[in-house]
Amino acid sequence: MNIRVDKLIFNNRNFTLSVERLEFESGRLAAIVGPNGAGKTTLLKCLAAIHPLSRNTVFFGRQDLAGLRLAERARLISYVPQEHSPIFSYTVRDFVLTGRAAHLPLFSLPSARDEAAAQEALEFVGLEPFADRPYSQLSSGERRLVLIARALAQKSQVLFLDEPTTFLDPKHEWQVLEFVSKLAGQKGLTVLITLHNMDMAVKYSDSLVFLKEGKVIAAGRPDDILTESLLQDVYDLPMKIVACDGRKLIVR
Amino acid sequence: MGLIRTILVLILCLWPALSLTGQERLTIKDDLGRTVTVPAKVLRVLSLQPEISRIVVALGAGDRLVGRDDFIARYDHLFAIIYPRQQRLPVASAVDGAPNLEQVMRLSPDLVFASPSEAKIPDSLQGKTGIPVLAFASLGRFERLFEEIQWVGTALGRAERAAELIEYSKKILERVQRAVADIPAGQRPRVYLSFWSSLTRTPVFYEPVTAAGGRNLAEGLLPAYLGTVGAEVNLEKVRIWDPDVILVHGSYLSDVRRVTTFGILGDSRLRSVRAVMNKKVFYTFGFWYWWDPALVLVETLMLAKLFHPERFPDLDLRREGNAVFKAFYGIEAGFDRLCRTLDIRDWPWQ
Amino acid sequence: MKEIRRKRRTWLAVGLLVLPFALFFLSLNVGSYPIPLRDVGKSFLSLIVPSLRSEVPPAVRDIVLHIRLPRLLLALAAGSSLAVSGAALQALFKNPLVNEYILGLSSGSAFGAALSLVFLGRAFPPQAGAFIFGVAAVLAVLFIAGRLEASLVSLLLTGVIVSAFFSALLMLVEFLASPYALQSLFYWLMGNLALAGWRDLALSLPIMAVGLLLLFLLRWRLNVLSMSEEEARALGVDVRREKWLVILAATLITAAATSVAGIIGWLGLIVPHLVRMAVGADNRAVIPLSAALGASFLLAADAAARSLTSIEIPIGIFTSLIGIPVFLALLKKSKKVWL
Repeated sequence: MNIRVDKLIFNNRNFTLSVERLEFESGRLAAIVGPNGAGKTTLLKCLAAIHPLSRNTVFFGRQDLAGLRLAERARLISYVPQEHSPIFSYTVRDFVLTGRAAHLPLFSLPSARDEAAAQEALEFVGLEPFADRPYSQLSSGERRLVLIARALAQKSQVLFLDEPTTFLDPKHEWQVLEFVSKLAGQKGLTVLITLHNMDMAVKYSDSLVFLKEGKVIAAGRPDDILTESLLQDVYDLPMKIVACDGRKLIVR
Repeated sequence: MGLIRTILVLILCLWPALSLTGQERLTIKDDLGRTVTVPAKVLRVLSLQPEISRIVVALGAGDRLVGRDDFIARYDHLFAIIYPRQQRLPVASAVDGAPNLEQVMRLSPDLVFASPSEAKIPDSLQGKTGIPVLAFASLGRFERLFEEIQWVGTALGRAERAAELIEYSKKILERVQRAVADIPAGQRPRVYLSFWSSLTRTPVFYEPVTAAGGRNLAEGLLPAYLGTVGAEVNLEKVRIWDPDVILVHGSYLSDVRRVTTFGILGDSRLRSVRAVMNKKVFYTFGFWYWWDPALVLVETLMLAKLFHPERFPDLDLRREGNAVFKAFYGIEAGFDRLCRTLDIRDWPWQ
Repeated sequence: MKEIRRKRRTWLAVGLLVLPFALFFLSLNVGSYPIPLRDVGKSFLSLIVPSLRSEVPPAVRDIVLHIRLPRLLLALAAGSSLAVSGAALQALFKNPLVNEYILGLSSGSAFGAALSLVFLGRAFPPQAGAFIFGVAAVLAVLFIAGRLEASLVSLLLTGVIVSAFFSALLMLVEFLASPYALQSLFYWLMGNLALAGWRDLALSLPIMAVGLLLLFLLRWRLNVLSMSEEEARALGVDVRREKWLVILAATLITAAATSVAGIIGWLGLIVPHLVRMAVGADNRAVIPLSAALGASFLLAADAAARSLTSIEIPIGIFTSLIGIPVFLALLKKSKKVWL
């Protein structure tokens, strides 16, 4: 099911985000890019209803996201934050298990089915051997994978990831993005990510959204919209697009 | 030469006067071991220790009081009966007992009485104001009470009256002691005192009980708070002691009384205690910022009759009580009035 | 290796669960008066078999059934309540330094007890005052912070302010108190299970039971709530509603425990930490095991307070003097992430 955005406006003291219209195809990976302060995280949080959402702005299929109850919404959408600072040393397995919260009524304990979902998620991201280790003992990259696993355990149809590759070394960056694209491809989830790294965005995404100062400058498939003048407009820096091994690379 | 002779003559003439005042000054050693020089004439007295305030009134020197302490001002229903004029006296101590220095200086007493339980206050007060301070308290012993009366009497120039009061008190105590002297230990009732509005706080020493021919079960325990006579025990201990009589601190007014006789009689934890089963749970007066010298005598009589009624067949407590109060304070029916204020229906003699 | 660790954890958990019962049994036999095991047993049996009543001296029976038994039950209930409350609030506030009194409860209770002991008469016992004002303090915090944004930080800050306010009121009451009332008040403030009777239990036990049950049922939910508020909301949890529920339950049980036992510090801070050190942070285990360890801790402290000397030592002194060094020692030993 598609995600459709219709006249989304978000105001806080210093910043206004204003999106006329956006659409995200189901089963595809979309990357939101732009300079710092463009509003990428804000847009993601609005779409995930982390920021309060007005009615009739974000639609999931034909459902108005704002009209859903929290637990219902969480069964549809997972949100993976940039980081999680561990205060209590839960095991990786227990951590991932918390992703099942939307499926459990208030006073219930996770059942065998919930444990199975967590197990499945752990196996998908390849962290099963780490399942009984404390979360705090994992490396940055591994922690990101755990956060993704938690989102997977939620068994939602949409996945939002905020800057999933920041602070990761190239290998881990690649690893995470491979997983993320697998999620769209193999599992058919609708995935939205925000990214700083333009090359990765171009390589992995099915569609791109360029944000600058709270406005959508361009949106569409990379092949269609990626031009040097667009890049200059968005980043205020002259860039060149270079073809290499069948891929497009951005050079400053 | 003529000048020197004049001066010498003057000194010779004045010398007797000077030495006379020297001879009339007293040095008294108080309960803290401080040696204090007291002026010959003490016309203005400030007592910050309620027990002493009562003694001053009993000595007939009540009109010399220039102020009162916070306890007497706010809580002492008894003092209001024995010295109604206390209403007009300014309050010279703060709520925590610390003397208000400015007030003390303004009242300019010749002598101040304080409590020995605050060791630093007498010295600091005397040091800062230059007024002699004496610290006395009975701490629950008759001997000390009598010494206190004697010293206060001497300081106020009422030594004769003091001797009178002591004589009177001793006669009453001797009467009781004679009557109970030959009672064997086994027949002296074992008494538990529930004091200070608490089931588990009891005085380690309370002479009226012993003098009346009873045994204070808590005697010999260590006090829980230094400088006081109270000890904390737990209920198991009380249960094991299995007292014959339980006495409840009765000087609290009825609305603030937390431990009551009927409370104890109905308490399931003490159900099978001998005193509870035989319904021998009574009020007694107890401390009320130490003692009232008249009331403690009446209390001893009351307890003597309670413990050994057959030895005091014609002791009419109300009559004797009023007589003691009259002897000490010169008031009529003082004891009756106190009992009415305390509003207790089940005194031991009723 | 994993297997050994898991086995050790299971044994630890089982041990912790059994501990309060063992200590309860032992404590029944501890006291000023040495009572042989036989008589303790007979006292209990005489409840069911009336004929046994004659075989036990009434003093012994009364001590076992009316003095020791209610006191121990209270230690069990209060110890569990304080520890679970601390554990739940630590999870909720995502802060391991939080204790059960963080929202102003101890100051409110102290003031309530003082008010009752100093000004109000017998009709208003300190237990009632302590309970009412303990809960009132927390409600005040919720109300004031709620008008702002009810974020956890604002709750904590408001808790500090309300706490300070009630402390000031307490000082005022102490200032105006007679020396006799003051003595009673200080003793109450130090924590004391000595005067607990069946009546105290009858009123406070149901409240503690309900609150403990609530938090027990919410124990897995606490894992989720201990994530950041944003994450928890993204996971589909109505953070606002559940936060209130946890705070309310924790407040009720803490207020009930404090009203009958006085202020007993450190339990709610130390016990959950010790449990986490032993079995990890998963609240499915931490909550019940905190209850067990908290109960054991208070039982042991109470037994010591009763029997070390002839004087009753206030129990609050024990929990601090024993708890803090034990905690520091374990902290040093574990070295790793101990949260």
